[in-house]
Amino acid sequence: MKYKILSCIVLFASVSFLYSQELSFPDMQGYKWSTNYPVYTPDNLWDFIDGAAETYLSYNFENLHVAEYKKGRNVIKLEIYRHKDNIQAFGIYSSERSPSFRFINIGGQGYKADGSLNFFKGKFYVKIRTYSKSEKILQSLETLALKVADMLPGESVMPKALSEFPEMGKKKNEETYIRESVLGHEFLQDAFKAMYEVNDMSFSIFLIDKSSPDESRKVITSYLSNAGVETDDLLGGKYVFKDGYNGDIFLSWKDTRIVIISGLSKDQTEIANRYTSEILR
Amino acid sequence: MSRLNRRKFVKTGIAGAAGIMAFSPVLASEPSALQEKKILYRTLGKTGIKVPVVSFGVMRADNPNLCKAAYDNGITFFDTANGYQNGNNETMLGNLFKGIPRNSFILETKVKPAAVGRDGIPTDQTTAEDFLAKFNVSLSRLQMDYVDILFIHDISNPQLLKYKPIVRAVKKLKKDGKTRFIGFSTHNNMASVIDAAASTDKWDVILTTYNFKLPNIKEMNAALKKANDAGIGIVAMKTLAGGSFLDKEKTKPLNTSAALKWALSNPNVHTAIPGMTNFDHLAINLKVLADITITDQEKNDLLAANAEPGLYCTGCTKCMPACPFNLPVPDLMRAYMYAYGYSNPSMAYTLLGELGTGSAPCSNCETCRVECNRNFNVKEKISDISRLVNVPADFIV
Repeated sequence: MKYKILSCIVLFASVSFLYSQELSFPDMQGYKWSTNYPVYTPDNLWDFIDGAAETYLSYNFENLHVAEYKKGRNVIKLEIYRHKDNIQAFGIYSSERSPSFRFINIGGQGYKADGSLNFFKGKFYVKIRTYSKSEKILQSLETLALKVADMLPGESVMPKALSEFPEMGKKKNEETYIRESVLGHEFLQDAFKAMYEVNDMSFSIFLIDKSSPDESRKVITSYLSNAGVETDDLLGGKYVFKDGYNGDIFLSWKDTRIVIISGLSKDQTEIANRYTSEILR
Repeated sequence: MSRLNRRKFVKTGIAGAAGIMAFSPVLASEPSALQEKKILYRTLGKTGIKVPVVSFGVMRADNPNLCKAAYDNGITFFDTANGYQNGNNETMLGNLFKGIPRNSFILETKVKPAAVGRDGIPTDQTTAEDFLAKFNVSLSRLQMDYVDILFIHDISNPQLLKYKPIVRAVKKLKKDGKTRFIGFSTHNNMASVIDAAASTDKWDVILTTYNFKLPNIKEMNAALKKANDAGIGIVAMKTLAGGSFLDKEKTKPLNTSAALKWALSNPNVHTAIPGMTNFDHLAINLKVLADITITDQEKNDLLAANAEPGLYCTGCTKCMPACPFNLPVPDLMRAYMYAYGYSNPSMAYTLLGELGTGSAPCSNCETCRVECNRNFNVKEKISDISRLVNVPADFIV
């Protein structure tokens, strides 16, 4: 009997811990909110967003709370995705962001587009949408978003690494964080990416910060080896090589940080060097 | 565009559940290599389009160079959707394909009707205007005058197939030349949706979930045959049954080639759209593009993979007659899922209370006669979750 009771306590201790992370939903004047959805976890996110779940999971998704706000026949759906940290939340947010959207000042950043309002704050990615065309209902999206942003813990900031990208020629609101398969390579992970347009040249800069110089060396070795470049006594430095379909690659490495530039050709080495030096100074 | 000519895929490999397999395919470095390469094609039903058996599910890909590599190596059918990456996916493909002859690739996109209920039934906010507006946005992102196939995204209820505002909208788009062919994608309740579609002459192509783990494979195969006989092209998705790993800890990799070959072993499936995010995925799938023969090892890998139970009851109810006490096994499995999957013991507690099965419903049986399609240890799970009943309600968070 004692064992039984203990087992029950253990069962509840574990599931209660997870469930204790539940969020509350803010009230909205004139709306009645309800939730007929479970708290989605990595195990069942597919039930809610189908195949898109894989991308969310890759950004260390932890759970999702969903509520519906109703006013007459109009419905506003609120989805709050919790990820592991601010970088992961920015990552999934930025993967669904387009520079053509109308950006608003909320959380770390947010935007409005076609009946939806998305933003991220701290470790949360929030998506609010309605199918209503009523101007009043559409305005309510912003009211609800502000209430949610106030309620959520965490800082309203962009990841610090983004400030390391040089400003000259950087395309606004096109920075992303790529969790897996950077440039289509399984061994390249966790990169911030910024897009540039300089004198009619378009190129991308990827910044990877590993936990130690040794980890950086492993990544560099994998990449150079994959490209057929000899790799002896790697202590840092610069490499230029051809990476199949990705074209010419400028790869630089200093301590824990790796900079990869794609989109420039070998005769544009000077530009690549200038940007690399600014980041790795 | 530079070509891959030194890429080494020797390291590429996937460990099957019952063994390790190593692949060393090489991507074609020149167009001439493509001419010599063996590529398997099938005809996509009455559309007459000759499609490679392996196509490209672009949903998660963010590197246009990966798509270009696939195209150059014979994968010429690309699947995207209005909603993928909130539109960035279509934008990426649009930028890639603007410099490529339009008749050299097949582009398919999907548009989701608005405000469809969780039961798959349209509401009064499910309008043609919204659907057409989204489609026009898709065309704009893709920088194309037309797409080859337009799918209505995610039909799980045959009622939506009869919903006139959306059906008329896609038909008009076809008549106006904005799409060459029309169809729909189905992720749930596929057999009955496909069966219903095959009874009409409205649809040219269907994109459906199809994999070795489907519990109702007989019904599904019958529906696919009926659709194929009706001239409908069939595109398979989710051929990996939920990912490249069999467990959430990612310790048990799935033999992805075997899973893809299994789907293509059905002649009523004309092509499959595995998702690819890196060159390793592409290299593996290019091998399947040339040879879909399933080896004995691959068969064993799939058998082992099928034996992995996972967490979720599919609710097939086939287990119920076997229980001598007529226990509502699927409901009890649902309670287990609430507690352990959704981390929501409160929902599990409420459900158990409604079921009234008590705290030890399996105590009268020494052995369990229930055989689960998903290989759940049903008795163990029921015994585990039913203990919840003994806990005072105040303790349930």
